[in-house]
Amino acid sequence: MNQENKKGSSVAAGTEHPLSILASEAHQAFSELGFEIATGPELESDWYNFYVLNFPKDHPALDMQDTFWIKGDKEKVLRTHTTTVTARAFEKAGKEGRLPAAFISVGKVFRNEATDITHEMQFFQIDGAMVGENISIADLKGVLTHFYKKMLGEDVEVEFRPSFFPFTEPSLEVFAKFKGKWLEMMGSGEIHPNVLRNVGLDPKKYQGFAFGGGLDRIAMIKWGIPDVRLFYQGDLRLNQF
Amino acid sequence: MKVSYNWLKWYVPDAPDPEKLSDLITYHLAEVETAEKFGDDTIFDIKILPNRAHDLLSHQGVARELASLLDINFVDSTPKYKIPDSKPTKLKVEINTDKCRRDAARIVRNVKVGPSPEWVVKHLESIGQRSINNIVDATNLVMFDCGQPNHVFDLDKVKGPKLDINTSLGNEKMLFLGGVEKELSKGMVIIYDGERNPIGTGVKGGTLAELDVNTKNIILQIDNFDPVSVRKMGQALNIFTDGRKRFENDLSPELIPYTMRELSALILEMCPEAIFEDVVDVYPKKQEERNLSFSIKKISKILGLEVSIKEIKDILERYNFEYEEKKGEFSITVPPMRLDLVIAEDMAEEIGRVLGYDKVKPIIPKINFKPKPNETYAKISWARNKLLSEGYSEIMTYTFSDKGEIEVEKSASDKKFLRTNLADGLKESLKLNKINAPLLGIEEIKIFEIGTVFTNKGEEMRVAYNEGSKIIEKNLNEY
Repeated sequence: MNQENKKGSSVAAGTEHPLSILASEAHQAFSELGFEIATGPELESDWYNFYVLNFPKDHPALDMQDTFWIKGDKEKVLRTHTTTVTARAFEKAGKEGRLPAAFISVGKVFRNEATDITHEMQFFQIDGAMVGENISIADLKGVLTHFYKKMLGEDVEVEFRPSFFPFTEPSLEVFAKFKGKWLEMMGSGEIHPNVLRNVGLDPKKYQGFAFGGGLDRIAMIKWGIPDVRLFYQGDLRLNQF
Repeated sequence: MKVSYNWLKWYVPDAPDPEKLSDLITYHLAEVETAEKFGDDTIFDIKILPNRAHDLLSHQGVARELASLLDINFVDSTPKYKIPDSKPTKLKVEINTDKCRRDAARIVRNVKVGPSPEWVVKHLESIGQRSINNIVDATNLVMFDCGQPNHVFDLDKVKGPKLDINTSLGNEKMLFLGGVEKELSKGMVIIYDGERNPIGTGVKGGTLAELDVNTKNIILQIDNFDPVSVRKMGQALNIFTDGRKRFENDLSPELIPYTMRELSALILEMCPEAIFEDVVDVYPKKQEERNLSFSIKKISKILGLEVSIKEIKDILERYNFEYEEKKGEFSITVPPMRLDLVIAEDMAEEIGRVLGYDKVKPIIPKINFKPKPNETYAKISWARNKLLSEGYSEIMTYTFSDKGEIEVEKSASDKKFLRTNLADGLKESLKLNKINAPLLGIEEIKIFEIGTVFTNKGEEMRVAYNEGSKIIEKNLNEY
């Protein structure tokens, strides 16, 4: 807070919410590589939230997402990830013949779970994908390593380990070593051919990678913010970065 | 899932030390969440991935995987388990629903229910399970060993003796183990006896044919259920068990003969006087053999790594896959337990994780993308920058509220509605920040939020800020 300026002739600028600072940095890091910014609804259909993404009905994988279903509308949910935005963006890009393409989105997502210092019912997710004719895991590793170096510093180490998500095959979990500790950062992988098909793309022609993870988590790690719930209290003491 | 290192060593005696093994599992299979000492043992908590829950929710499953991954010897226990000479049986087994894909059962007479041998107690305790009695322990041990849930009934409480795997017609109650009574609904898959008494299910056993201290004769029973029906039943009855978890992840019916052999052998070890009758095995539709084709070109293209034919052949051989290869085109017979392998991409994952993703060198794609500006994002940025430059600070508040027009079904919190405005949150924030104003070194609190609100008309992006204690709230497009 700039005390000298507060009574000066020009108004002192207000302070930004830390998640906005990070969102801008993330948009910047991906834009540099040719990603296009995408946005989409928070109240989603179960089609875009689950089934377009190859979640089978009545499958334990659905338990991975503690979902808020909307009362009185069996097909509506609060999105559990912004992969919904990515799916919509590629569906549109495919129709417009705009491939290869890459999209990035940062948005609020919701999980129906008890809150504690690392869990919150709402948080921000950063999500994106790149689709072309030969986009491989090597590209995925390059792009996400670039991103975490931009966000957490050039000396951060990034690692990729086996994982599972219904919408990617192969699936990889991204880990970053920050201040001597390996931390789980996001999920990623090559987009499952069923997902490509569901958004109207031909998996014989196209392949690509997708990723998604919490933005709040990066902010907590980067600035040592101890409790995820602090982000949503409307408390200006948080705006110090 | 809790996995005992010493237990694994039965099957893979050449496994590396626990620390090294833990790293290998993490980098090539699944995350090891914890590795804790337990006496002379180490217990891993492995987060088995949902696509491998078919074959890895067991010690043998993990051991088999490790033997292939590390190219070390797997000790097959089958020959060790001597099949007792069995006698003809009068037990009848009927499957009357397509939700049960196989059922094998056998009568064992002259058993004695009592405490378990020490090694059994130790094994169960190592993975956090409690010893109950020798027979029940045998069923649990077998499940954690080979991954197949199984039941034991008291033969003298089973009418017939007959097992009828059927669906409930509804309007029926069942008392489950542990004494909880639940209403069964139409379509639930139930194991009935010959007089249609419900004695077991895929999610939990019942008390009607439960063992007691006087039990002399038993029925060993092992089924393979349709995973969706078990999942739905478990959800409806709110029952979570290790058995349900395995069934709902889909098991191969081909696991049953081994399970029956292991369970029988364990019972014989505990009750050497036991008399075994023939196994009745009903298996209406054999699991189909599946083939999977992929090319080395496709695998390399997905991974972004030049993989050689030799490397792939080496992996297929270590994993005991039957295969044919012609000029880099592979055709494999998928082992019955590997229900996760369906398309070429699955093989790319299999090969990628076995080789290790560290082998793939990161590259930045050089593609001339033509991104278009995003209108919503541009408007949000413009509004944010304008407010910031006017001295407003940004806040974020909760989407959930105690009143509103759109409600969520179930919530972990008491706030079940979605906010219809940003103003309410902003007012609260204003109050909070006024108290802290001296601490913040500001005289006048100026705050804003840009966020989504929800009404019956749908969702809408709004901008809200204060003028003194007054809140101004506008649609983003009108700001």
